[in-house]
Amino acid sequence: MGTVAAGVAKAHADVVLISGYDGGTGASPLSSIKHSGIPWELGLAETHQTLVLNNLRSRIYVEADGQLKTGRDVAVAALLGAEEFGFATAPLVTLGCLMMRVCHLNTCPVGVATQDPQLRKFFTGSPDHVVNFMRFIATELREIMAKLGFRTINEMIGRTDKLAPRKAIEHWKAKGLDFTSILQRPDVWPEVIRYRQIDQDHGIEKSLDVTRLLDICEPAIERGERVHADLPIRNIHRVVGTITGSEVTKKWGPNGLPEDTIHLKFTGSAGQSFGAFIPKGMTLELEGDANDYLGKGLSGGKIIVYPPAGSTFVAGENIIIGNVAFYGATSGEAFVCGMAGERFGVRNSGVNAVVEAIGDHGCEYMTGGRVIVLGRTGRNFAAGMSGGIAYVLDEAGDFPAHCNQEMVGLEKLKDADEIEMIWKLIQRHQAYTKSDRAAKVLADWRQLVPKFVKVMPKDYQRVLESMKKVKEQGLSGDEAIMAAFEENVRDVARVGGG
Amino acid sequence: MGKPTGFIEYLRELPADRPPAARIADWKEFHLHLSEAALRKQGARCMDCGTPFCHTGVLLSGMASGCPIHNLIPEWNDLIYRGLWKEALERLHKTNNFPEFTGRVCPAPCEGSCVLGINAPPVTIKNIECTIIDRGWDEGWVTADLPKQRTGKKVAVVGSGPAGLCAAAQLNKAGHTVTVFERADRPGGLLMYGIPNMKLDKEQVVMRRIRQLEAEGIRFVCNTNVGGNYPAEKLLKEFDAVVLATGATKPRDLPVEGRNLKGVHFAMEFLTANTKIILDGKKNGNFISAADKDVIVIGGGDTGTDCVGTAMRHGCKSLVQVEILPKPPMERAADNPWPEWPKVYRLDYGQDEAAAKFGADPRVYLTTATKFEGDANGQVTAIHTVQVKWEKNDKGQFIPKNVPGTEKILPAQLVLLAMGFLGPEQPLLDALKLERDPRTNVKAEFEKYSTNLKGVFACGDCRRGQSLVVWAFNEGRGAARECDRYLMGSTDLP
Repeated sequence: MGTVAAGVAKAHADVVLISGYDGGTGASPLSSIKHSGIPWELGLAETHQTLVLNNLRSRIYVEADGQLKTGRDVAVAALLGAEEFGFATAPLVTLGCLMMRVCHLNTCPVGVATQDPQLRKFFTGSPDHVVNFMRFIATELREIMAKLGFRTINEMIGRTDKLAPRKAIEHWKAKGLDFTSILQRPDVWPEVIRYRQIDQDHGIEKSLDVTRLLDICEPAIERGERVHADLPIRNIHRVVGTITGSEVTKKWGPNGLPEDTIHLKFTGSAGQSFGAFIPKGMTLELEGDANDYLGKGLSGGKIIVYPPAGSTFVAGENIIIGNVAFYGATSGEAFVCGMAGERFGVRNSGVNAVVEAIGDHGCEYMTGGRVIVLGRTGRNFAAGMSGGIAYVLDEAGDFPAHCNQEMVGLEKLKDADEIEMIWKLIQRHQAYTKSDRAAKVLADWRQLVPKFVKVMPKDYQRVLESMKKVKEQGLSGDEAIMAAFEENVRDVARVGGG
Repeated sequence: MGKPTGFIEYLRELPADRPPAARIADWKEFHLHLSEAALRKQGARCMDCGTPFCHTGVLLSGMASGCPIHNLIPEWNDLIYRGLWKEALERLHKTNNFPEFTGRVCPAPCEGSCVLGINAPPVTIKNIECTIIDRGWDEGWVTADLPKQRTGKKVAVVGSGPAGLCAAAQLNKAGHTVTVFERADRPGGLLMYGIPNMKLDKEQVVMRRIRQLEAEGIRFVCNTNVGGNYPAEKLLKEFDAVVLATGATKPRDLPVEGRNLKGVHFAMEFLTANTKIILDGKKNGNFISAADKDVIVIGGGDTGTDCVGTAMRHGCKSLVQVEILPKPPMERAADNPWPEWPKVYRLDYGQDEAAAKFGADPRVYLTTATKFEGDANGQVTAIHTVQVKWEKNDKGQFIPKNVPGTEKILPAQLVLLAMGFLGPEQPLLDALKLERDPRTNVKAEFEKYSTNLKGVFACGDCRRGQSLVVWAFNEGRGAARECDRYLMGSTDLP
């Protein structure tokens, strides 16, 4: 733990959180709640000691959480080395949480963790309850600080000399426990800072966006004029396009700009989070390859990736973008000529993407959007996928074995509109990326259509059908959504409802 | 949990009782059963809480919250939803020796602390419990289960009420040879002679269980008053251990003018004689009739209610139940939050019957009796009442003060005192030289149950003072465990 903390401190993380095993969401399986993890006290002590020994503690906040409930808990955490403290269970209880452990079932009987309007009526909490609870925490903490002679939390951090193990615990397991390594204070020069006082240098000023892209895109950002630029890129360039995208959104609002207003073409190897969060109106084209988190949180933009001209490998068999591409993306388009790493499209809620092959756990927890895979997928495809649709071209016929069918059903393509939609997306993919694979698929289209497997989440299908039904009854907008929701919420076939 | 959305879909439903007008014509039980389909829905209402309270059995503000014998309620609710009755019965018997008793007479602190009750009517736990065990008896699943090995140790249990029966059943399970002493002519204690037949059927429910215990090897010795016609010293000599479960039978009196008039009785005299008549099928000298009388019941608790129900069945002319406390609110007051026992207005069976016949709930609140008036023959004819208000004295205790100008005179030919019990009768305890606590109960620590006399344990009302049947179960089981530990050095009893 200390090693990881030192590593992330060097990598300019602002905070390291030590999250103990007592805590966790009520949606966890009981076995995980009871039997995984270790106490935060152990991790916190090691983290703080390692950071101090390596003179890194000055640059990073250390936070602790895991069933902190009293001022005493906060005092102990501070003395072991934390300056930030996370509370969840106790404030939730002040708001009316009864620890039912059904947060994932939509049946919270006190309206805390549910979308059901009938149950939300029972919510009796108020922010004042949390404020009041925190006042008690603060009061108790101040009493302890006064007893120990501290004026500020910062003075307390890492002062393990003020902690002593209780001697009189009568439990056979407590016998022979040695706390010295937890209570040790690192032997370092007095100049070494023991709590966070120095800002991390994130190097934003040196980023490609600040040094080049904002200037290039200025006409688009300010006046909505079209811009195009060709730029080289290296993997030291992280989150390329994100600051620019943020400026577009600040100026043009959530609707962004017309498609392709900003068109940036990069050549080379992109660093992490290329095109993260870019809005509508931005198109990032990459000739080369990309690291992890490509298009993370994509918010309307378009991302095109293809191998460098003259490359000799088969695109669909070689990984061209890293893991976790389009994580949590909400809208936009993506065309990737090549294979993606693991967890492609995890938590995607609205992006339409075409890719030629992917690694394990594709479309995990996906809730919306369309994903077309023109080749093989890794194992555990569609785990926890509750929405959106994936289309996998399964020429080998072994896709069902790679798919986690707990929440999804596998179908053939039947609907003509749907087939046309897929055809059009693949055609655009071919046009943008010059993909050989796409060209071949389009050429053999008639023979290949039956080989597409449509991966349809069962819940999603039921809600879509309900929506269709209530719309036929003349409802629309939120009313229609609520009516469809009501129709399904009590259905035991519901995956969440067992 | 069978159905996560059960509590949203189904409303609380209890089986209908027999209509009051019909049931006051006999002494048969008045609760009916739900259909299996309806009961499964009630089981589905259980939320299988991540943090349940129904089984906790703790005292909050002096009242039980959650089941004192820690019944595994969510588990058998789920089994009922799934239709697994036999498994449900096994799960129920794990913690409760006699669910047919608690299923009928327990006030159900489990339902008071049911998490669903925080904003909706709680799960019908008591009714489900009762149905599980009734079905078990009907199906023949409750059979004599003899211990595999006898330890050769002899244990005497004094008193055959709920605590004594539980202690005996558990000690017998552990292989000890158990003899239960009962001074009445039938075993069961308050279950037999305290609670009237319409609430707990003596022959079909109580004796059925006694016969099962006898078949398992427990010996019941009735008409035997330990410390009276059976010397206490003999007990200590003949048995390796003794469990006292004699109850808290000393009634609270109302020492006002005219208390000695004829027609003024303690509730237990009235109820005991009545049950005896039903069982014997012939009148006895102690029988007290309420027929054609103006009846006053003083005390608003369960015993008071039983007096009301019994008087109704005798055919009383009028009935007033006098309660010194204020009328409880219809919903929980702010100072009585969940999961405390809800102190709310309830219309129990007796009042329901009186209301059906006389048109209104017979209870008058914030009222106390100041005097009984009699005729030349020394027979009570009327009682004088006055309203009270509760005020704090200089020690900060609430005490009732009479309100001048609110005096009333009510006609009465029968007055029943149901004002609770003060503690155990002392002669046996004196004979054994047992230490007492300041409230005259036997001194023994909760969960330990050992008295100052080695090998003598005390449990139930004689140790904790008057309380619920289910607390007696808790203590009887606990005392059996400690007694077994004393006899064998270790114990497997829960």
